[in-house]
Amino acid sequence: MATNQIGIDQFFVSLAGFDWGADASFLAAIDALVVAAAGDPDRSRDLERRFNAVLAADTSRAAKEYACRRLCLIGTTASVPGLAALLGEPEHSHMARFALERIDAAEAAEALREAVGHLSGKLRIGMISSLAARRDAAAVPVLAPLVRAGEPELASAATFALGRIGTTEAAAALAAADDHTSPIADVVFDARISCAEQMLADGDRPAAQAVYRSLVAAGEVGPDSRRERAARFAARSGLIDALDDT
Amino acid sequence: MTFPASTRRGFIKTTAAVSASAAFAPYIITSKALGDATTPPASDRITMGGIGLGNQGSGDQRQFLGHPEVQYVAVCDVRRKWLEEARARVNERYGNSDCAVLGDFRDLLARDDIDAVHIATPDHWHSLMAIAACRSGKDIYLQKPETLTLSEGPLMLAAARGYGRVVSGGSQRVLEDYRSIVDPCWAGELGRITSIDLDPGPSSMGCYLPADATPPDIDWDLWLGPAPWGPYNAGRCDGNFGTGGNSWRSYVDYSGGHLTDWGAHNFGGALFGAGLLDQQPNEVVWHPATDGGLSAYATLVYPDGVELHCNRPAALRPRANTHSVSHERGIQLHGDGQAVAGRAVPAYRGSRGIHGDFIESVKTRERPFRDLEPAVNTMAAAHLLGIARRLQRSLRWDRAMHQFVADPQANRLLDRARREPWVL
Repeated sequence: MATNQIGIDQFFVSLAGFDWGADASFLAAIDALVVAAAGDPDRSRDLERRFNAVLAADTSRAAKEYACRRLCLIGTTASVPGLAALLGEPEHSHMARFALERIDAAEAAEALREAVGHLSGKLRIGMISSLAARRDAAAVPVLAPLVRAGEPELASAATFALGRIGTTEAAAALAAADDHTSPIADVVFDARISCAEQMLADGDRPAAQAVYRSLVAAGEVGPDSRRERAARFAARSGLIDALDDT
Repeated sequence: MTFPASTRRGFIKTTAAVSASAAFAPYIITSKALGDATTPPASDRITMGGIGLGNQGSGDQRQFLGHPEVQYVAVCDVRRKWLEEARARVNERYGNSDCAVLGDFRDLLARDDIDAVHIATPDHWHSLMAIAACRSGKDIYLQKPETLTLSEGPLMLAAARGYGRVVSGGSQRVLEDYRSIVDPCWAGELGRITSIDLDPGPSSMGCYLPADATPPDIDWDLWLGPAPWGPYNAGRCDGNFGTGGNSWRSYVDYSGGHLTDWGAHNFGGALFGAGLLDQQPNEVVWHPATDGGLSAYATLVYPDGVELHCNRPAALRPRANTHSVSHERGIQLHGDGQAVAGRAVPAYRGSRGIHGDFIESVKTRERPFRDLEPAVNTMAAAHLLGIARRLQRSLRWDRAMHQFVADPQANRLLDRARREPWVL
């Protein structure tokens, strides 16, 4: 046991000094420890604590990246503060999300929502991407105002996220933003289709029908580009899927 | 428009046709190029563009350029060298300088005059590009492996079906390379297929290559796209077919490795032979290595009980008999020998193999041979095996819920966070 402990300590000393291009052979040993810790909370917590120490220390981007990848698998609420602290750092934000996005805990979602409020630019869009992947219904009030943001990339990300979240609240936010004069009107249309698909998949047929009906009606006007034709097709075929099978 | 009834029948009666063939007849270009006895006039051809034109992409481009019913109009890549070579092939083919050159796929997808695209980027781009292409009204020939994660498949399928797009996967080998095992299965010579042995290759690995100076002819940020940032190194992004290092197919951020790259073919061929392309396993049984020297392997169990053994040691395999067929690429199918009716093996539509099958499907709006759904099911088998290998344990898979059963840790591996600003 003592030898094992020394071995583990040495692996993490090596990780703390690791960088791209260096000998990476010891990482396989850490990988094996992570797999072996499944079903053993004490060992898993010990590894999690060690990975969090790597995040908190003055370590390389490569070392932090590796730690985030493994926390993606074994991270718990104990990792959320350390990961959240990296969300605003351009070099580490994505990999912090790489772990946070997959940690199925309310604290992880809360950290992402909170970061939407104080970050800007691409990092803010990253938070939105992760909230969309989590289908975080609680993010709707955070995302809804962003649909009308002056930055098209931000507004598009928030719009797509609402579509993927796919709740009635998300549908309402998207309906309120459906303005054919908007520079992202096509994105809103696509997001509403995604939203209706999601509601139908979740079994809310009436809500999906309502969205599709609105989209079919909206599709009666507008340009006749390839994109618009495809969107109109999606609205009509979606409505057919959502209608009662009679 | 009003809707008189909450029924499909009522809606279909009152609305214009929703026929995909009516809505998506190929775009009519205005070129005055005239056809001949074998080539339709340009105005009747399917306009195409290509995204990702390195190794496999250049091969696909040559196939489509040689198709008499295709008018190739635009090329897109993040590498200047490949872009120029791809443009030269198009302009040489048509004897002009009309081919558009684009560095960002979004600019290509925004063009309204393009009917269809072929995509042969590294795998980490497939889902984002395919979904965006569906939304922009393009049909898609998408190189295999079509997905990088399990979660991507349903999203891509929803986009393809919802927007009425023809999407063909890019494994030409499934129908062409495995006939020696597929034909006897479909002829009923083996009886009901009860088990399969397959030898998938290794999974991809982490990339820890050192930083090199980024050459000026590559848009490195766009090459990485939704994948984690990593320093430029030629070995990280080279386009050769190797999976043992020094190629993007070796690394987990961009590929599932040999497991999914050749797996797209080999799982596809085996599942095609067994008639399982419409299914996904509901269980992966992990068999650890034994003290007796047998190496670890896994068994994918399909809903009707067919077992697909992956890398099963030879000592455990049934002895080949008259109800078994084998393929040199490590595939064996075993039947029960009971009489079953034979069926005709499906064929490509049109001419010129899988590329021609795609073109014909674009015209007819029928589903191509490697339609996205069997492609997603094929890749699901490979991904499920990959996750079982990584976790070294058995897993139960709920296809309808798209979740592992009672295994939150495995569910973390369904997908991965995308680098900003990419949103799936």
